[in-house]
Amino acid sequence: MSSSNIIMFEDIFVVDKLDPDGKKFDKVTRIEAHSQNCDMFMHLDVNTDVYPMFVNDKFTMALAHTLNLDGTPDTGYYTQGGRKTLADKYEYVMHGKLYQIQEEGSRRATRTEMVITFGGLLMLLKGDPSYVSQFELDQRLFCLIRKL
Amino acid sequence: MQQRAQDIIYTKQPYIEDVGPRRIKSIQFSTMSGSDILKASECQVHLGQYYDANKKAIVGGLLDTRMGAPNKHGTCQTCGGSFTDCPGHFGYLNLVLPVYNVGYLSTILDILKCICKSCSRVLIDEKLRKSYLKRMRNPRTEPLKKNELMKEIVKKCSTMASSKAVKCLRCGYMNGMVKKAGSVVGIIHDRSKLSDGYLEECKSAIGHTREARAPIGLATYILNPVKVLSLFQRMVEVDCELLYLQGRPEKLIITTIAVPPISIRPSVFTEGSQSNENDITERLKQIIQFNAKLRLELLEGRRTGIKYLIGWDELQAVVTLYINSDVRIPLDMQVGRPLSGFVQRLTGKQGRFRQNLAGKRVEFTGRTVISPDPNLKITEVAIPIHMARILTYPERVTHHNIEKLRQCVNNGSYKYPGARMVTYPDGSSKMLTGNYRKRIAEELKSGCIVHRHLEDGDVVLFNRQPSLHRMSIMCHRARIMPWRTLRFNESVCNPYNADFDGDEMNMHVPQTEEARTEAFLLMGVQNNLCTPKNGEILVASTQDFLTSSFLITRKDTFYDRAAFSLMCSYMNDGMDLVDLPTPSVLKPIELWTGKQLFSVLLRPHANVRVYINLIVKEKNYSKPNKEHKKERETMCPNDGYVYFRNSELISGQLGKATLGNGNKDGLYSILLRDYNAYAAATCMNRLAKLSARWIGNHGFSIGIDDVQPGKKLVDEKGKTISNGYRHCNKLIADYNGGRLALKPGCDATQTLETEITERLNKLREEAGDVCMKELHWRNSPLIMSQCGSKGSPINISQMIACVGQQSVGGSRAPDGFIDRSLPHFPRKSKTPAAKGFVANSFYSGLSATEFFFHTMGGREGLVDTAVKTADTGYMARRLSKGLEDLCVQYDNTVQDAGGGIVQFLYGDDGLDPAIMEGKAGVPLNFDRLFMKVKATCGAEEDEYLSPSDISNIVQSLLLKHNGTLDGICSESFRKSLSSFLGDQAKRLECLMKLVDGVEVENFDNIKNVEGRTGISKNTEKIAQKVSGITEKQLEVFLKTCLDRYVWKRIEPGTAIGAIGAQSIGEPGTQMTLKTFHFAGVASMNITQGVPRIKEIINGAKRISTPIITVELEHNSNVNAARIIKGRIQKTVLGQVAKSIKIVMTSRSASVKVTLDMKTIREAQLSLDANIVRELILETPKIKRKLQRINVLEDGKLEVFPGGDRNKLHFELHSLKNMLPAVVVKGIKTVERVVIAQKKLDDAENDHGGPKYNMFVEG
Repeated sequence: MSSSNIIMFEDIFVVDKLDPDGKKFDKVTRIEAHSQNCDMFMHLDVNTDVYPMFVNDKFTMALAHTLNLDGTPDTGYYTQGGRKTLADKYEYVMHGKLYQIQEEGSRRATRTEMVITFGGLLMLLKGDPSYVSQFELDQRLFCLIRKL
Repeated sequence: MQQRAQDIIYTKQPYIEDVGPRRIKSIQFSTMSGSDILKASECQVHLGQYYDANKKAIVGGLLDTRMGAPNKHGTCQTCGGSFTDCPGHFGYLNLVLPVYNVGYLSTILDILKCICKSCSRVLIDEKLRKSYLKRMRNPRTEPLKKNELMKEIVKKCSTMASSKAVKCLRCGYMNGMVKKAGSVVGIIHDRSKLSDGYLEECKSAIGHTREARAPIGLATYILNPVKVLSLFQRMVEVDCELLYLQGRPEKLIITTIAVPPISIRPSVFTEGSQSNENDITERLKQIIQFNAKLRLELLEGRRTGIKYLIGWDELQAVVTLYINSDVRIPLDMQVGRPLSGFVQRLTGKQGRFRQNLAGKRVEFTGRTVISPDPNLKITEVAIPIHMARILTYPERVTHHNIEKLRQCVNNGSYKYPGARMVTYPDGSSKMLTGNYRKRIAEELKSGCIVHRHLEDGDVVLFNRQPSLHRMSIMCHRARIMPWRTLRFNESVCNPYNADFDGDEMNMHVPQTEEARTEAFLLMGVQNNLCTPKNGEILVASTQDFLTSSFLITRKDTFYDRAAFSLMCSYMNDGMDLVDLPTPSVLKPIELWTGKQLFSVLLRPHANVRVYINLIVKEKNYSKPNKEHKKERETMCPNDGYVYFRNSELISGQLGKATLGNGNKDGLYSILLRDYNAYAAATCMNRLAKLSARWIGNHGFSIGIDDVQPGKKLVDEKGKTISNGYRHCNKLIADYNGGRLALKPGCDATQTLETEITERLNKLREEAGDVCMKELHWRNSPLIMSQCGSKGSPINISQMIACVGQQSVGGSRAPDGFIDRSLPHFPRKSKTPAAKGFVANSFYSGLSATEFFFHTMGGREGLVDTAVKTADTGYMARRLSKGLEDLCVQYDNTVQDAGGGIVQFLYGDDGLDPAIMEGKAGVPLNFDRLFMKVKATCGAEEDEYLSPSDISNIVQSLLLKHNGTLDGICSESFRKSLSSFLGDQAKRLECLMKLVDGVEVENFDNIKNVEGRTGISKNTEKIAQKVSGITEKQLEVFLKTCLDRYVWKRIEPGTAIGAIGAQSIGEPGTQMTLKTFHFAGVASMNITQGVPRIKEIINGAKRISTPIITVELEHNSNVNAARIIKGRIQKTVLGQVAKSIKIVMTSRSASVKVTLDMKTIREAQLSLDANIVRELILETPKIKRKLQRINVLEDGKLEVFPGGDRNKLHFELHSLKNMLPAVVVKGIKTVERVVIAQKKLDDAENDHGGPKYNMFVEG
């Protein structure tokens, strides 16, 4: 199977701001970014201690429900082993859970917010409802990032 | 026939008919008369000596062995019993002359008031006497009523005699007033008001005798005990009944003293042959001596005349002291050191009743210093081996435990897992101290009881004084440990209110299986996690546990595989199965976050079926502000929004709100409500262990560098303080120049004080804010204050920036010297520094004056705590005594011990306050429950319901449960439940409308119509995902709601009176004594805290700060408010008069009052001279002095004084002084009315100007 089935969403983002509310944590930075293709807006907590990010960095971000290239669903339990995975193509990979979907705006201009937690590192993805419809509440997701 | 004849046995015994067991109809208590005492005694005591030359007790002396065995070696001469067997026997001591018994003096007085002092009949007339007697004889009257009736008769008789002498209707004797003699124990018959010739007759008669030199109070007649005794002896039985006397009244007077047995007044032998006699014995010796002296005086009495009376008084005094040594006796009669009397033996805290009979001394207890041990479970207590070797539990031998107990018996009482005693089924027992233990161990059989040492898992009760609520004594499981302290998990500090600064605690070991079970089920820690006061959790994580949780769950704590696994094994000593979660960061390296550790802590592996769902806003949650109008929720930049979803920590840094006590939707509360106490307890145990180990490795300490201010902070602080000082100086200058704008209802000084205090408080706050902003996040005090484990921002800023204003009695430091607080300052100085503002921090150090002000404030705190313990303790006791008997009956009513119904349904809803989940005592928190149901019961394949379907299904489900609902659920609960569900449905409806802008369609419709665009379908789906609900979820939600409600009803038999008393008494002790609260405006302080509660409990008629808030009907008009103010506030003539002067002309003299009509008009008081005239005439004090008042013109009055023309000048001046105080308007008691501008809400602000209400004082 191709990776396109596994990846539920992918786009190229540009970092706009670091720590929009001021620096609060040493190792974690909240980045504010917007996507180039789908007009998405994103807040993402990144462990900048291991993966530094700066303003105007351009990166591709993908959300996948499993890392297995054959598409077998993720078990929720971590398995060791050096198999080939989707992660090989990316530099920074996080695992977490989608826990909230919200609506914003009114009438025609509705925007949908998805909030995902990667063990406390949060991602807020705001955009057109059509991109969100395929996601389910309580879904386990992988966030994959590679700088361009 | 023959047989029956044989049954009859002829004896000399009186024939007693066998009527079966007898019923005791009544018991009557009475005092012993002299003859009763003689009958009950074994010997006469007449010698005031103890031992003879051979150190033997003298026969007829106070320690005569006929009155009981004197010590362990002697025997009783009467019954031959030993010291342990013989209870002792009474002796008797005849008094030469009778004396009063102080305890009965008031009764004697009452009787004497009622009877004629000549013929001993009751003074009231025959008709009245009959009617009273009839009421007294009524069998249905309760004793309490009869006592009241007796008081009434006494009152009637004494009022008769008080004004004038009463002539006895039967003998014609004139009776005066009877009263207590002042200094000595005695009674005086005051006949001075007699108007017959008796007095003169008496005087002349005495004049003829030889002792006429001493006319001792002829009119006041001392009623001596002999006289009273004879009067009492002559009293008729009927009169005794009328006065509700149980026995003969003469018994109230002592003629013979019963000498108590030796066993109640033992003599103590000090080393050598010296003996120390009991106080009672010594007093009796004095009595015997005075008695003998009086007898001698009587024998020679004929010559010395009245001299014997002194001896009699002495005897009276010493007998009085024998009974009650507190009675005041003339100084010259007091001899030697104070000896305690019988009253002192019985009453008071140290008395026989409270100390011994109702005393709470028990066996199988231990007490020692306590210390913490986070490795113990919260239900455990570590008991030192030393204690375990002494405390035992009687365990019955069965074939299950025989081997263990055999080992115990073998070990004996000194080696730890041992036993002290074995009891056999036949009742005999053997101590296990000798070396015959081995044999006993071998012969041990089932059925024996082995009193073995305490072992792990035994049930013990653990207690700390003061036991203010039921959680002060709880049941723990024992853990036998080395060393010498009692130890327990710090999480349990709260209910005991214990710390480890040297506190001691007590421990009790229940001795039967039943007691253990009962203790464990009713008092077990796991069953008392909540306070019944309001259902808040009391046993929860504290101090270090909070700090480490806070640090672990920080957003930037990451652990690699080794560290994370190690921490997982900290939680349960590596004994638990743990499912390692997928790391949060997989690449570039595997990293787990601290939040994941908490998810593991809550649910270590998949088989633990605990799904926690909760939302808590911690202290540092960033509330919506100007920049972000929306609630940020989980995206809070400070990470203050704690969100657990299915036992996974989604976001938020844990602190006191989540893990600490005193919260209803904290983590442990929810574990307790949604699961059980065990789940909450294991979670606390895990956290305690993890935290203790983690913080030990991580290190957490505080040092001087934590409180060193940075350069920026020092600069900013200097700037703020100089700014503030400048502002204050300006205020003071304004005040001195009289330019200060007054605050409503305040004079200039008050205004200045409030403004300066306000400014200085703001100053401290500003300095504190700067300081908090500048601190690094690793600063230990900052961490502690943020997570809530210890300290507040104020404490930190006091250490680093500025200590702030010191207050004494709610105001700035008072003047200790003339016009100044300390001689370091100029007189009348009101500058911040001179009135106790401490600008330094604890780090920079206080100046000498600042230090002194600080000690002033500190002392007030100390005095406060010292005073309040006594005050609140007494309050708690009164509450408990008043409510102790209230409990819930099986019919759900609340009744007292007498069966009186206090409430028809406890709390009007019949629910147990201990298990209320919502805030403000609401049984359930629907929002949370709904969230939990939605999270745990996933939608998956089920279809979402449309809003109309929701309401339909709710209706049908409610109908289905209606049968069970009726009579169980209160109306209000049902209403709130359905309204909540209605709201949910409405919200979904709104959202759906919002999403696609079309009317909501039926779910079927959406499914069927394939033609609809994909996007619209998508949006529908998203809306569903946002707040849809399936039928199953709805059903589960309703079912849990109803099920839980049913379990929340109060159990019949609950002692809710005691719970109620404790719920008020215990928080009372935590309150500071003198809390004055600023009631909004202008120094209108209201009493709060303990003094206010005292007022309420006492039912004080005059409360110290009565204030009424008046809501105005037309609340937007200040002028209207001012008019009303004028009508309510007390206004006196002095305030509205221009002048009040004395006018004297040749013909007349008067006081002229000129009203200030301008002021009156301005204040809209609607007063004129005519009204004032009427008002003056209505004032009672002035009215008496007046002749007339003339109204001259509309603003002038002339007041003419009346009365004696000689005193005219004085009259005029007194009038002039009194007139200004005449109340001309308003309510007399209302000293002050203040118009206040209402605090405006945003909604109100839009229309109309400011709103006003008033505060009325008085």
